Amino acid sequence: MMFAVAILAVLAALALAVVRALAGPTAFDRLLAVNSIGTSAIMLLALFGFLTDRPEFLDIGITYVLLNMIGTLAVLKFFRYGALGHAQDPERDEALR
Amino acid sequence: MEPVFTMASWAALCLGGFFYVIGAVGLNRMPDLFTRMHAVSVSDTLGVGLLTLGMAIHSGASLITVKLLIVVLVLWTTGAVASHALARAALHDGEKPVLVGADGRLTPTDCVTLFPELGPRLAQPLSSEAVETGADQGDPAAATWIPGRSRSGDTNATASAAAEMGMAAMRINMLGALGLMKMFRIGTMSSARSRGRTRDRGSR
Repeated sequence: MMFAVAILAVLAALALAVVRALAGPTAFDRLLAVNSIGTSAIMLLALFGFLTDRPEFLDIGITYVLLNMIGTLAVLKFFRYGALGHAQDPERDEALR
Repeated sequence: MEPVFTMASWAALCLGGFFYVIGAVGLNRMPDLFTRMHAVSVSDTLGVGLLTLGMAIHSGASLITVKLLIVVLVLWTTGAVASHALARAALHDGEKPVLVGADGRLTPTDCVTLFPELGPRLAQPLSSEAVETGADQGDPAAATWIPGRSRSGDTNATASAAAEMGMAAMRINMLGALGLMKMFRIGTMSSARSRGRTRDRGSR
């Protein structure tokens, strides 16, 4: 019962984040909303596992968290270097090309 | 489970859900990107923390609590890193925070006028590599970073690429959802369909 209440709250937050992801005037708003959707998905997974008495869903949650982390690092690298395919060293980058 | 623990779990889950929704409402109600990030940080730290605390109290001292701890620690650290990267990128892209102006109304304000020491830092490009290659080609647009204009001179280049990354993230989420559906249907990710089904029926 208490997990159902928490799941409803997370679902409401997820819907609001989707609204912002669709409406967001800038790409950064959308990125923020997508990040929030990812977090909501993780919490939803964990709570649903507890609701159905199958907490092994948490393993999928951990996978999601790690995926989120890789996504964050990709975004960081993208904004730092302007592209994902570039090496840090320009000369090595030329050699790779 | 003892009633004290049940009540503590209830309280943490309800409070966590409350803060989670507050953050999402703020994401829609706030006037600009930076205040929206401020609102989302509520649900990303306090909301997630309290929800996880509720689940941890429910499960007691077990492996599940350790897994919950892993989830919440990774979420907290990456949340801060992502927020920092996002704010930095938005400032460099010329995003103007909405502040109360001299006439008492909310107006988008260039943050360099408020904090002059930010000017030289924002004038530097995010990528050191871009300066070198830009200087080699003698391209003035690449050599100097102008807030509100990306390196290529195309205003939307960074924005559209960021949107593409968002789409990629959504695609990853969709793959996860499909995997989850398979898990629901046959009880496990890897076994054959028929065996999984009987196991699923049997467990209910």
